[in-house]
Amino acid sequence: MMPTPHEFVLGGVYMPPMLVAAFFGLLATVGSVKLINRFRLANYFSHPAVVFLALVVIYTIIIGTFFIGA
Amino acid sequence: MTMALTTRTKEAIKTALAMTIAVGISLFMGWDKPMWTAFAVAFVSLATVGQSLNKATLRMMGTLAGAVAALAIIGLSPQDRWLFLILYSFWISLCTYMMGGVKNQYFWHVAGFVCGIICMDGGVNSENAFQITMLRTQQTGLGILVYGLISALLWPNDSGRKFTDSVNELTSTQHHFYRACMAILRGNGDPEKAESLQLQLLQQKSSLGQLLDAAEADTYDIRVQRQQWRDFQQQANALTTSMVRWLDDFGGDTAIDYDRLIPGLKSFDEIIDQRLDQVEGMLKGQAPEPLRETARLNPDPAALQSLTVFQKAELAVCLNQMEEFESLSRSIFGTVSHLKDFGLPDAGQPAPTASGPAFIPDLERLMSAVRVTATIWLAFLGIVYIEGWPGGAGFLAMATPIGMALAGTPQVSARLLLAPALTGVLFASVIYIFIMPSLAGYAELGLLIFLFTFFICYRYSEPKDSLGRAFGLAMFFAIASISNEQSYSFLVVANTALMMPLVFLIVAITAHIPSSPRPERIFLRLMKRFFRSCDYVLSSREIEAGKQSAGRDARRAAFHTRELAMLPQKMSGLVPQIDSGKLPGTTTAQLNSIVTSLQSLSERMQTLIEANSQIQAPRQLRDVVPDAVDWKASVQAAFVKLSTDPTSSDAALYHSRLSSIMAVMEQHVQNQLNTLAEGKVSAQDGEKFYRLLGAWRGVSEALVAFADSTMPVKWTPWREERFT
Repeated sequence: MMPTPHEFVLGGVYMPPMLVAAFFGLLATVGSVKLINRFRLANYFSHPAVVFLALVVIYTIIIGTFFIGA
Repeated sequence: MTMALTTRTKEAIKTALAMTIAVGISLFMGWDKPMWTAFAVAFVSLATVGQSLNKATLRMMGTLAGAVAALAIIGLSPQDRWLFLILYSFWISLCTYMMGGVKNQYFWHVAGFVCGIICMDGGVNSENAFQITMLRTQQTGLGILVYGLISALLWPNDSGRKFTDSVNELTSTQHHFYRACMAILRGNGDPEKAESLQLQLLQQKSSLGQLLDAAEADTYDIRVQRQQWRDFQQQANALTTSMVRWLDDFGGDTAIDYDRLIPGLKSFDEIIDQRLDQVEGMLKGQAPEPLRETARLNPDPAALQSLTVFQKAELAVCLNQMEEFESLSRSIFGTVSHLKDFGLPDAGQPAPTASGPAFIPDLERLMSAVRVTATIWLAFLGIVYIEGWPGGAGFLAMATPIGMALAGTPQVSARLLLAPALTGVLFASVIYIFIMPSLAGYAELGLLIFLFTFFICYRYSEPKDSLGRAFGLAMFFAIASISNEQSYSFLVVANTALMMPLVFLIVAITAHIPSSPRPERIFLRLMKRFFRSCDYVLSSREIEAGKQSAGRDARRAAFHTRELAMLPQKMSGLVPQIDSGKLPGTTTAQLNSIVTSLQSLSERMQTLIEANSQIQAPRQLRDVVPDAVDWKASVQAAFVKLSTDPTSSDAALYHSRLSSIMAVMEQHVQNQLNTLAEGKVSAQDGEKFYRLLGAWRGVSEALVAFADSTMPVKWTPWREERFT
């Protein structure tokens, strides 16, 4: 069952679920590209900067849909 | 018992005191936005009164220019957001282009971002535009006035002494460099020592200009003699360049016994040595002896016979350089004796400056302008089309100065800058949320401002920490939003905290214009451009024939000649930013060696351009022209290949190909000279021809040296893609 979209409360401040999902998406992307660099797999991409942006979007959607409920 | 304060503490106290007084006056006068006066104090405070006054003048003038531009843009584009965006981005890109120049960079930066602040604050409500403009101008003026008074009255630190010390250091280093070069020429020198002195000279040269600007502003003696000091600076720079080229000319070959070849060399050396010694003495107030003339350096005809054609060519080039720096040292002697009032008749002439087209575009600066335009458009589109964009119109006002500052250095990772910015936000937020609400009256707020400013200025006092200092102070005053009717809102903190990552995200995206911002990729791109310019210069008929061309050709020739001179310097600035840890098989020393070899090639190409423009091969020696054509074709082919792939150089191949061509050319010249009747080629013609030959030989050697320097580097990791 998909999680229900809801705001996150931090010290009385309400934060939109998409912001939280994007934050974790960015963290996951940074971790992934470090691994990709470590194993020299970035060589298979012609534009790593575009891949970085695409990974952020993919992770944000996955985390938002299946874990947070954005 | 008295406790001596360090310079660091004194400077921090001065800035903190000026900040507290300026914000206090602004509040007392009932002016809105006292943070603007705080920004003025924070950004104009520098080590000496002169430096601060110069920066303050540039800030004030920039504020006025930015204000006029903002009012014009608002007036020309009422109710038309797209026309506004076009005019605004044009002005900002113009300011960014001008910021990349050598003079008044700060003026153009301020002229750009002040326009942004006024447009964003006043543009939304056009009735307020004039009021906002006046407010910004008076707040900036107040900050400058208060800091100027404090720095002039409290522990004044003028630039005159620093400038004098810097001049003494420069002349002393030049003297030592001359001695090191002469020792190498005579076969008993230390090339490493000469290289280290050369590096020192380049550093001293750049700091001297800044100190002279500052000393003119705060030291009366320097100000009244500023024209002579400018002449001295120009002559000293020309002397350094001349000596560096002289060293390049003979540095690679010590097989010639110059003492035996040139009987007057010892006397020449003594006179120049004494002249440079006296220049140093005059600057310290010692009266000089009358100027001694040097005899013309004529080689011994008998000893000359033992030299090969190319050794004669090397000798001709070397003697030409020595005559040039003899003339420059005489000019410096005259200028200094005039400056120090020793009354010697020869006041010296400033070194001639090259004349050329008035405007030569610079590709890096153009790219900066394109990047900042893209940053502004992305920010503006975000504000217009994405609801709830943090900061609203204020986002553009924040994106503009950051975008302008970073547009010229796309290789600097935005992530590195985000850290100090977010630290500044965090620090300022804690004070804003937890401390400021409990304060009552300006006595307490003033104490907080003083302590905070003192802490930031003391903690980030080194020039390398200027970013931390700028962000720390800017974020504090932006978030605190100090006013007479103080209010507190968490939204201010949240919006500012969200704006920073978004600004840096946009800057990180636009840094990819025109392609990867990785410093090693930029290094390769600049190398390609360097060899394209080499190719153009070598093939250009205008340059080859020494013609004074006009219009488009003249601009292209001037563009490529300047590219040759500037690109090695730009590459040198990139070397510290290349992370050799991520490029296995590459070391910083190897990269420095490549840059040095390109610098040498640039000097040799410059010598070739000058030789081509000043002299033509004598008619009697035109038979070697086919060899020269072969040589040119071979070198040009190498340049074309290197301009597509600078990593493809093959030292052994270049060496063998160019050596064989030069050997054939040498043989032809020798045969030609042998067949000519005695006296048919005048000594002057012969010397000119040898200079031309020397210039060709120099370019060949520098090309082989470049290929040698690239051989140890493993280029494969440079070509691999990587996430930055």
